[in-house]
Amino acid sequence: MSTETDDPLFTEIDLEWEHLKNRLFLGVIFAASMFGVVMLALLLLDVATDFYVGVTEYDIGLGEFFTRDGSRREELAGFRGAIVASIMLMVLTAILSFFVGVGSAIYLEEYAPDTRVTRLIEANLANLAGVPSIVYGLLALAAFVNGIGIGPILIAGSVALALLVMPIIIVTTQEALRSVPDGVRNGSYATGATEWQTIRRVVLPAAMPGIMTGTILALARAIGETAPLIMVGALFVNRTPFGPFDRFSAMPTQIYNWAAEPSQHFVHLAATGIAVLLAFVFVMNGIAVYLRNKYETDI
Amino acid sequence: MTDDLSANDTTGVASRRKFLAGASAVGIVGVAGCSGASGGGSDELSGTIDASGSNTVAPITSWAGEQFSDEFPDVLVDVAPEGTGAGFQEFCQQNSDVQSASRQITDDEVDLCDGNDVDYDFIEVGLDGLAVVKNSENDWLDEITLDELRQVWEFESDVQTWSDVRSEWPDEEIELHARDSASGTFDYFTREINGEMGNIRDDYSATSQTNEIMGAVADNVDGFGWGGLGYLRDIEDDQPIEAVPVESDEDGEFYLPEQENIEEGLYSPLARPLFAFFSMASLEERTDLLGSFARFYTNGQHELARDEGFYATTDEAQEENHDKIDDWLDQVGASPDDLTVQRD
Repeated sequence: MSTETDDPLFTEIDLEWEHLKNRLFLGVIFAASMFGVVMLALLLLDVATDFYVGVTEYDIGLGEFFTRDGSRREELAGFRGAIVASIMLMVLTAILSFFVGVGSAIYLEEYAPDTRVTRLIEANLANLAGVPSIVYGLLALAAFVNGIGIGPILIAGSVALALLVMPIIIVTTQEALRSVPDGVRNGSYATGATEWQTIRRVVLPAAMPGIMTGTILALARAIGETAPLIMVGALFVNRTPFGPFDRFSAMPTQIYNWAAEPSQHFVHLAATGIAVLLAFVFVMNGIAVYLRNKYETDI
Repeated sequence: MTDDLSANDTTGVASRRKFLAGASAVGIVGVAGCSGASGGGSDELSGTIDASGSNTVAPITSWAGEQFSDEFPDVLVDVAPEGTGAGFQEFCQQNSDVQSASRQITDDEVDLCDGNDVDYDFIEVGLDGLAVVKNSENDWLDEITLDELRQVWEFESDVQTWSDVRSEWPDEEIELHARDSASGTFDYFTREINGEMGNIRDDYSATSQTNEIMGAVADNVDGFGWGGLGYLRDIEDDQPIEAVPVESDEDGEFYLPEQENIEEGLYSPLARPLFAFFSMASLEERTDLLGSFARFYTNGQHELARDEGFYATTDEAQEENHDKIDDWLDQVGASPDDLTVQRD
């Protein structure tokens, strides 16, 4: 294998070199596995420093940051409108995507016969999950914002996000349903329960922790999505929306806006916004992990 | 980004405004606490104003809108800065009520607006300065005439070294940096200096980022370029770059792009006016809302422009704007006294 050892006899093998290679290889793969961790740490460090500089040097008061809307004046700008918009977006997205997503997963997993049509649907779902998010934004723009003319309002944004997360919810729900042992289902059938009674009273409750975990993780992804919202046109509204028909700018688009401003003060407002957005994502992921751990031993 | 947003123009079918007006009629938007059309006879203004247009002017319109909303909380001014050209596409299809522009409307855009029966007029809201910049260590270039500027920049220019411009200047190659043809700044400079929009030599470093121009000139003693004044102001304190006094077509003297020179009209032709176009159809439909916004914008235009790093127009231009608004109201059969916001 190695060109240095011309003599094939075992006794001639340089054991020290072989051990060194062993350690080198270990080092390389360890470095590979640490790469992601280091990058994440660097990212967090960068956000934390910018956040710290923003709070200390630019006097970004967190009280005002959470209670004021965006503004052209950097010293008056806050994040409230964007936070409220993002929370409303998530609620609407959850409503729009959860029932359709879980419904189609139940159909595919529990009812659908293994035909060509079913396989076609499943293949399409897999493809849908790989569609770039900006494409969903374009769809919402063409179909809703301009097509039926509702304008860049919260509902339009949540439709784009719901389309984006629906495949994820379907796939995780299918996984959760699959993890319910057949014995449980058969036990239910044995008592004379119908298919629907079995699903509603036995399978769904057992699968619910998995479904919830998947849904929350999907929403945690949706909350940081910027491209679909930019396409929908939800960018430059500073104030707090009151309902699903109001125009809005969510957390990621507000951050995008601020980061593009020439003034350093705005850039640090963006960093503060990123810290808040990351906190939201971490909390959502935390809830998902908690749910998974709490219920994983039930069956 | 700009291209993406301009997808709006081509796919736009129904006007948002019409939907909002209809929606408020059935009371949907009532839930949202902000109705689409201004209620007849109510003292408080309400509704949404859609503003499209120039990336450069958008901050002024946006700042005007924010202050307008502070005064009338039920009004939302939604400013989308897709660029002057993309904005006119939107505006001329009646998809926006107000259009910010860093240049006048072109013939093509006039045709587009006419084709869609969109009637409009504009107010002049501020001035932007174009700075001609050199490296601070460049000690020969103390001033430049308009002729020399044209000589350097025009199409098929044979200027390669400084001495080609003035024989007493050094025999060193000039490094030219400027905006590319996508920008309104480019349109303005080529028309004012080289006599025709788009007329420019083809061997300079073209970029869409003005801060790259400034950075390149600051890095090289033979660098020479031009760009929006705001970008120069951002870095001139920290980096070796400064503005060159340019000949004025008003009095032939040389002026730096400074506030008083720009606002007195002496830094000409390299100070350009910035405009806000208003749709007459929108004004007719929501006279008080649009009229009051135009009035509000004009009342505050000097401060608004300066707050955003631009320069104020003359007081005469402001008066002219007010008179125009009076004419518009006359056209749609309203009186200036009907507006919630009155002339200061």
